[in-house]
Amino acid sequence: MVIRCVGPVDCTGMAFDIDEYAAGSRAVRWDDLDLDHFRTHPLPAATLRTLRYMTDVEYHTICYTRDLLTTPSHADDDVARFMITWNREEFWHGEALAAVLRMHGIEVGFDQLRANRLKFGWKDSLNPAVQSVLGRVVGRDFIAVHMSWGAANEYTAVAAYKRMAAMEQDPVLAELLRRIAQQEARHVAFYVTQARQRLAASRKAQRLTRALLKHAWAPVGSSIMDHEEVVFVFGQLMSGPEGVAEAKRLDGNISALPGMAGLRIFEKAFGRLLAEVRGGESFS
Amino acid sequence: MSDFPERFDVRAFTRSAQGRFRDELDLDALAGQPLTPDDLCLVRFLSRVEGASMEHLRDVLMTATHKDARVTAFLVTWAYEKSWIADALDAVLDVHDQPGRAAPEGRPARKWSERRSRRGPLWRSLAAIAQGDAVVAAHMTAGLVDEWVMGVTYEMLAGRAGSNALSKVIDRIEPVKRRHEEFFATEAHRRLQDTDRAVRLTRTELRRSVWPIGAARRGAEDREQFARAVFAGAEGQARAASIGARVARLTGLTEATGAAVARSLRW
Repeated sequence: MVIRCVGPVDCTGMAFDIDEYAAGSRAVRWDDLDLDHFRTHPLPAATLRTLRYMTDVEYHTICYTRDLLTTPSHADDDVARFMITWNREEFWHGEALAAVLRMHGIEVGFDQLRANRLKFGWKDSLNPAVQSVLGRVVGRDFIAVHMSWGAANEYTAVAAYKRMAAMEQDPVLAELLRRIAQQEARHVAFYVTQARQRLAASRKAQRLTRALLKHAWAPVGSSIMDHEEVVFVFGQLMSGPEGVAEAKRLDGNISALPGMAGLRIFEKAFGRLLAEVRGGESFS
Repeated sequence: MSDFPERFDVRAFTRSAQGRFRDELDLDALAGQPLTPDDLCLVRFLSRVEGASMEHLRDVLMTATHKDARVTAFLVTWAYEKSWIADALDAVLDVHDQPGRAAPEGRPARKWSERRSRRGPLWRSLAAIAQGDAVVAAHMTAGLVDEWVMGVTYEMLAGRAGSNALSKVIDRIEPVKRRHEEFFATEAHRRLQDTDRAVRLTRTELRRSVWPIGAARRGAEDREQFARAVFAGAEGQARAASIGARVARLTGLTEATGAAVARSLRW
């Protein structure tokens, strides 16, 4: 099935073809990259710390899927098919990044990931119940929130990979991050297309989505990673004039969704994190 | 259980996932040996069950199972492979100009005795708080029993249809399903050895389950046709008994649990 995408940046004029996406999906490749290069050109500790964050977030995608599944979205054939392929691609992003970390002596095993998930605590256990009640009260409009939220997260992921590649300038890492960002851009296209359609169809969905994005959205990984890691990673990736410009560009993308005009969720969220890093640097 | 390795290599499994394979099927041969309406109905039921992996993930991810990264890594690829199995079965239906799994489905039976199998995320997540890690063993064992039920169904369909072309499709599906069975078998075996609590919860869950997994949400008419085709008559009773016997042989499980599973399968 073809879904017409009319998003502003990553998917202008694109049609998101779920059949083509599912059939053409491939695990991101890194076997053709010279990872031995890192033996002679190791990445700095700060870069590895951010890569570790990205690895964990990619592996933990299934936890976000869990939230999505509490809504009626699982019954939508296109959404369900997307989620199957999307989860697999994100898992492979985790595997690819873990391969880079492994070259630096950092192992990210299933047991370690499990230990991290066990730390999520009671909030994580109760989250499906809360989301489920919200989904029941709000109805199908709640899917628009998830799709818009997913769009914001995927926009962040694409921006983060591109910024990391530009900042580090290691040719092997840059190529791997470029490949991952390319797949993430397809995820953006799906979420934006879904969000746009669902928001355009319902004023209630617009009001709810706007309120939740404005007051509750936080950069991808915030709900599953230690706060100091969130501060470190976004402090690293979104600092300086380039970071400010990136946040404004991302806000422009979200603002172009129906009913979201004027939202500045990225500027505010990154600004708060940067303020923690630098003791109050203004972000605007 | 000795048929299966002590440890399943999840990473190797994810690396060699089976993607789309409908183009490898000899669809012309299928067109030359058309299936009966009853066989096509069963193919559609199987396609719906294989294609409903997100429904199943919705159930299991609400519990402690979602915290086990090794299990979720498997489930991500398992769902992917099942979606392409469903696609292959839809290709069989396409050749016959019959609607695939996405066609409107009849209403489920909504039996009171099966209410637990239809529970949504709210109740599952609240129940999961009390179940803890033990629920992972129940999910792995249910996955294994589900593979057995699906296995005898494919076998019965291949025998009943008597179509070489369909048998080749099923032969193409079998190795994909075999790896799923291997994972569930090794995990069930290991986890049932872990704690008595895991065994007790698994017994309870198996006794209350509807087979194959997800059947409680399938249309009542299709489900009845499936049960009649696979688990009615002397042969059907034997299939149910054979699965019950396999359940009874699992670590910590009893003849009573096996008998309960067999009883729930019989038509």
